[in-house]
Amino acid sequence: MAAMSLLLRAAAAWGARRAVSGAAGAARLPWLTGAARLPGTVAPVRHSSSHGKRMFIIKATSFYDTRFLNLLRFYVFLTGIPVALFITYVNIFIGEAELAEIPEGYVPEYWEYYKHPISRWIARYLLDSPEKTYEKQMALLDVEAKKTELRLMELEARRLMRHRGDGPWYHYETPDKNLVDNSMKSTPDN
Amino acid sequence: MPKDPDWEAYKVPPTRTPVSERITSVPNPATIFQTVFNYVVDAPVTFVREWIERQQAKNKFYYYHQKFRRVPDLSECLEGDYLCFFEAEAQWRRDRMVDQQIVEIMRERLGACKQREGPNAFQNCAKEMEQLVQVTKAYQDRYGDLGVHGNARTCLMKQKHRMMEERKAQANASQ
Repeated sequence: MAAMSLLLRAAAAWGARRAVSGAAGAARLPWLTGAARLPGTVAPVRHSSSHGKRMFIIKATSFYDTRFLNLLRFYVFLTGIPVALFITYVNIFIGEAELAEIPEGYVPEYWEYYKHPISRWIARYLLDSPEKTYEKQMALLDVEAKKTELRLMELEARRLMRHRGDGPWYHYETPDKNLVDNSMKSTPDN
Repeated sequence: MPKDPDWEAYKVPPTRTPVSERITSVPNPATIFQTVFNYVVDAPVTFVREWIERQQAKNKFYYYHQKFRRVPDLSECLEGDYLCFFEAEAQWRRDRMVDQQIVEIMRERLGACKQREGPNAFQNCAKEMEQLVQVTKAYQDRYGDLGVHGNARTCLMKQKHRMMEERKAQANASQ
């Protein structure tokens, strides 16, 4: 950075010298004048020693990127830091459970099979016990099994009633016997 | 999953490095490093860890390994008894997980033996190698080739085929 400012300062001084000599030598060599400049502005610019020449650096905007990253950091840490502090507190002051043999005659609760205190809390207050889910699954299976059984029996009954014709199903309405006109069959010579 | 409970398999035989007499007055740099490490790293870490354990010892609680009751096997279920099928299937899956962990433990034992023995592994780890071969053969006989959709029923059918093959082999051998 210091080298850059020195370089820029040296370039500006050289340009100023060129401008001074150009004003005098323009009469001699018109093409030796320096870059286009407003008439009368020949004085060298004084640069402060701390920053050097102020440059307008042209680059693509990073406004949107930095805004996104700032917002991301903010919203992630907004809940991330309290959660991290809570988990640290739990791990340090409550600690994990120790493995022990099941005492005689004692049936542990279903949440006492987990090690971490947060897992235990979730199992105890948020989730159903595995015995309950097991029984629910078995109840569902039982209902479906009874449904399949009844459906199969219904199909069998239907088949038999259709075949034998002695059941309450498969009765079809037939027209009355008295409406039938038997006149064409009344004599044998028709 | 639980660690291997049998520590005897992992015992390292005692080292036989001889105790050497000091012959120079130059202090051993290893002991200097050890004391520096002890004061700079070991002592603060141990202090913090013991403070944490004192806080945790105020309310201790325990966790247990769940013991499942044995239920009737798939071969003891009546046909059409879907509840019995469900329970037998769950028990079979638990047993398969246990068998997978048994194979894993035997593999770890062999690996530890190889690490311990170094170049003498082929000679001194023969027992662990033999155990691993037997366990993997048994696992392959029972659960191998069932595929990802293997369940208690396919395993029972595989067992039935194995028994039929055995009987045929016995009949052929006795002829």
